[in-house]
Amino acid sequence: MIVRWGVGAAVLALIAGVPWFGNELLIQFGINALIVASLAQSWNILGGFSGYASFGNSVFYGIGTYGTAIAMTEWGLPFWFGLTVGAVAALVFALLLGWPILRLRGPYFAIVTLGLSATMAAVISNLDIAGRNNGLVLPLTRSDALFYESSLALLVAATAIVAWIANSRFGMGLIAIREDEDAAATIGVNTTRLKLMALALSALIAGVAGGIHAYWITFIDPASAFDITLDVRMVIMTMFGGPGTILGPVVGAFILSAIYEVLADTISTAAILFFGLVILVAVMFLPRGLMDLGGGFRRLGWRYFTANIRENRL
Amino acid sequence: MLLAQILVNGVLLGGLYGLMALGMALVWGVLNIVNLAHGAFIMLGGYVVYFLFVAGIDPFAALPVAMVALFVLGYAVQRGFLNFIVRSALLNTLLFTFGLDIVLTYLAQLLFSADYRTINPDYAGANVTIAGVTIPLARLAAFAVALLLAGLLALLLRRTRLGRAIRATAQNLTAARLYGIDPRQIYAITFGIGAALAGAAGGLYGMVAQITPYIGATLTAKSFVIAIIGGLENPLYVIAGGIVIGLAEALAALYLGPTWSDVISFGLLVLILVARPVRSLKLA
Repeated sequence: MIVRWGVGAAVLALIAGVPWFGNELLIQFGINALIVASLAQSWNILGGFSGYASFGNSVFYGIGTYGTAIAMTEWGLPFWFGLTVGAVAALVFALLLGWPILRLRGPYFAIVTLGLSATMAAVISNLDIAGRNNGLVLPLTRSDALFYESSLALLVAATAIVAWIANSRFGMGLIAIREDEDAAATIGVNTTRLKLMALALSALIAGVAGGIHAYWITFIDPASAFDITLDVRMVIMTMFGGPGTILGPVVGAFILSAIYEVLADTISTAAILFFGLVILVAVMFLPRGLMDLGGGFRRLGWRYFTANIRENRL
Repeated sequence: MLLAQILVNGVLLGGLYGLMALGMALVWGVLNIVNLAHGAFIMLGGYVVYFLFVAGIDPFAALPVAMVALFVLGYAVQRGFLNFIVRSALLNTLLFTFGLDIVLTYLAQLLFSADYRTINPDYAGANVTIAGVTIPLARLAAFAVALLLAGLLALLLRRTRLGRAIRATAQNLTAARLYGIDPRQIYAITFGIGAALAGAAGGLYGMVAQITPYIGATLTAKSFVIAIIGGLENPLYVIAGGIVIGLAEALAALYLGPTWSDVISFGLLVLILVARPVRSLKLA
């Protein structure tokens, strides 16, 4: 146990030190990877634990982005206040949205989330305060260390939240909902409240991630804030790493971000195409993700990869 | 008169929406798979017809080609992949078809570029005017094709051996198997038929709207809602469901303004799903 904590602290210190010894390229990559990993964790809370597959979590990221940007440019607030505004906006939106859509289950829920980001992008491009289609320009701050460390802090906080969920009554309730929602309700789990809390936590993390990213990039518009490829990345990184685990989404995000970076260097379409293929392979052969691979492989050997198919084939 | 014109437009477009939803409803009802790549199939059908049209073939003559091509694709996807995970939790097939949607969308972008394409035959502008209402002939023909295909599907399901096998599989997989039906084959054929219908819808869609690699997601969502409204007792009900959505969209665009039309159709989607006028999604 102590060894484990020691290794964890060493890895964390190493990652935190990147702005001091890494080059420009590594720091840029790091900020992106940390933000996307936080998004994967945010998806994990809802999709991994409660089993509600959301294909529109980027909407909370986008609202965090716009909340922060509007607070900073229109109201002249400093970054930390702006970030708070963005996070609160995402949270409030999640609560308002969750009220109707969390009544929906399975495919009904998934389909509604599919259209969320495009719809919010359309709403934003009709709003004067958000600069319509032209977007907003935030004040420029050249401090990569600040963005890097705040992204890292967000990821650590998100992972801590997930670790708490995994070991709490709340998390047990979410897993019960995932396994059988009616049965969970029967034994006294307040399914509505739990789902709403999960969505709110998920939105909070995604909103903060959007705010940090907005201030770092300094220019936002509807298309980049409500980017559906972000949804693809959240889902696939969590599924690949291990849905419903504490570290799976982080591991999945780091590995896939690195591969994405290499591929995006050559053809950006190839990178997202690759993600699609990873989902297909992961769903068929690795439905529990990388985190389960070690133990599963020791137990079953190569047959581990076909276990899913043997159980679920026609 | 404007209102009458809007209503006619809504009905004609709605028939096409119904055709889009038909394949999704069929697959959902029989296989219990909600195919998130359905819109991507529609998009691919649009491209098949577009490229044949560019090569000089009439789009209506190209529709059967698109249907065959998409049938083959759908059959292969079901037989080669989905059959292996079809009994796992619904989340898994959702995720798989989500991945398939991404692969098809970005493959299309890579191969066909992101340019807007329209299938624009000479007779695209032809129309007749009845009592002051202009009816574009291409849209009318698209509507007729949608009705025809829905009718044919109804006949196939009711009157043929294959249709009986499909309905039996939907009702009770084990019992169907006991009577000598190979569910793997039936599932693959059903998924293929669903994809073929999407292919036809895509070709017709290319004549009334623009095709890009990214049209899939919204069309998937639209098809889903229409499938819920229409149910699956009768394919013609699905066309009726499409007309309801087509009319609602046309009226909303008229009274609330076209810049909000995406927001409106999404609001409608949520409203319909939450209020859920539940119809049986099982084949009778």
